[in-house]
Amino acid sequence: MTSPYETLGVSRDATQKDIQSAYRKLAKKLHPDLNPGDKGAEDRFKSVSAAYALLSDEEKRGKYDRGEIDETGAEAAPRQYYRDYAASGEAAGRYESAHGFSDFAEGDDIFSSFFSRRSGGQQRQRGRDAHFSMEISFLDAANGTKTQINLPGGGPALDLTIPPGTRDGQTLRLRGKGEAGFNGAPAGDALIDIRVRPHPLYSVEGDDVHYEVPISLSEAVLGGKIRVPTIDGAVNVTIPPHSNSGKTLRLKGKGLHKSGGGYGDAYVSLKIVLPEAHDPALSAFVETWEAGKAEDPRKGLGGHA
Amino acid sequence: MNDREFCQHLDIEVKILRIWVEQRWLMPREAEAGWSFEAADLARARLIQDLTGPMGVNDEGVDVAMGLLDQIHGLRGRLAVLMGAIRAQEPDVQRLILSKVDDD
Repeated sequence: MTSPYETLGVSRDATQKDIQSAYRKLAKKLHPDLNPGDKGAEDRFKSVSAAYALLSDEEKRGKYDRGEIDETGAEAAPRQYYRDYAASGEAAGRYESAHGFSDFAEGDDIFSSFFSRRSGGQQRQRGRDAHFSMEISFLDAANGTKTQINLPGGGPALDLTIPPGTRDGQTLRLRGKGEAGFNGAPAGDALIDIRVRPHPLYSVEGDDVHYEVPISLSEAVLGGKIRVPTIDGAVNVTIPPHSNSGKTLRLKGKGLHKSGGGYGDAYVSLKIVLPEAHDPALSAFVETWEAGKAEDPRKGLGGHA
Repeated sequence: MNDREFCQHLDIEVKILRIWVEQRWLMPREAEAGWSFEAADLARARLIQDLTGPMGVNDEGVDVAMGLLDQIHGLRGRLAVLMGAIRAQEPDVQRLILSKVDDD
């Protein structure tokens, strides 16, 4: 259904004058007597006239704007709320749940069946959801994987797909793997709380991954290409010459899968490590390196004499 | 009505409807040609729209709200039956029950 505003080609805040002139223009073009034999024009003329009849009457226009009447001027049906159906019990029987009060039934008291049976007695009742928890590795959570889960209480192992970017505390749902339904209603779901084990290298902040990567003294001084691990495999990264410890490189899109699509970033913090074996040549060089001895990296930290 | 008509009434995409059914917020009857919706489903869907739209409730919140709501309606249904049964008793019995619940 087109709104009367659209029919007349005016905006919702058009003045009465705008509406009148829009109507007149269209009426002149579409009037059936000016378009003999043109059924389309006649139909449009009718809808334009109806739209004008509604909008030119300030009271009706207000009612239309408030949604009290529709574009034909008919009273809009008062809205039926869900509670009206739920109270009647008829169709809503599908949704009603007796889980909240089955504990009212005490042992063999004569009311126990009153609380365990639902109104009508014949209604279908979806099975309960069953809750489980499972621990997975950080990389499985980050990259996604397929695994199997054995639910307590026996039964065959279930296939479980861990989607990429699964976070600690997220709940995965296996439809229909909960408790059986009642009277042919569907079974409940199995809900699996995922715990992600922390990773020794990677730490997570939002969608981003932060970690430290060691570099050698010569890489730090001269720069160059190095292999850097990321959550989905190693990549080549060029570090600029004279890269200090603590310098952070951002690897765009190498973070976690975002729930709405896309990826976070990886932040790689460089850390200079000296060669493991003592190297006399290095010591000899630094001995002769006067500028290095003169430098004071702790300047401004306080505690100086 | 079928899913297409249902979506038209609500002005939503079928994709959204599928999510609602997936989440079990809606449980349409399974007809031969697919889902079949009733007026109650429509009213329920409008409630979901109110929750997610103007009321700004997120998906987890809708899940909680609908679950509690279904429990409340289950309770209300049973309570109505119970009240009906009490009202069908002799006035003396009714008064006895009333004095008992008033004590609590």
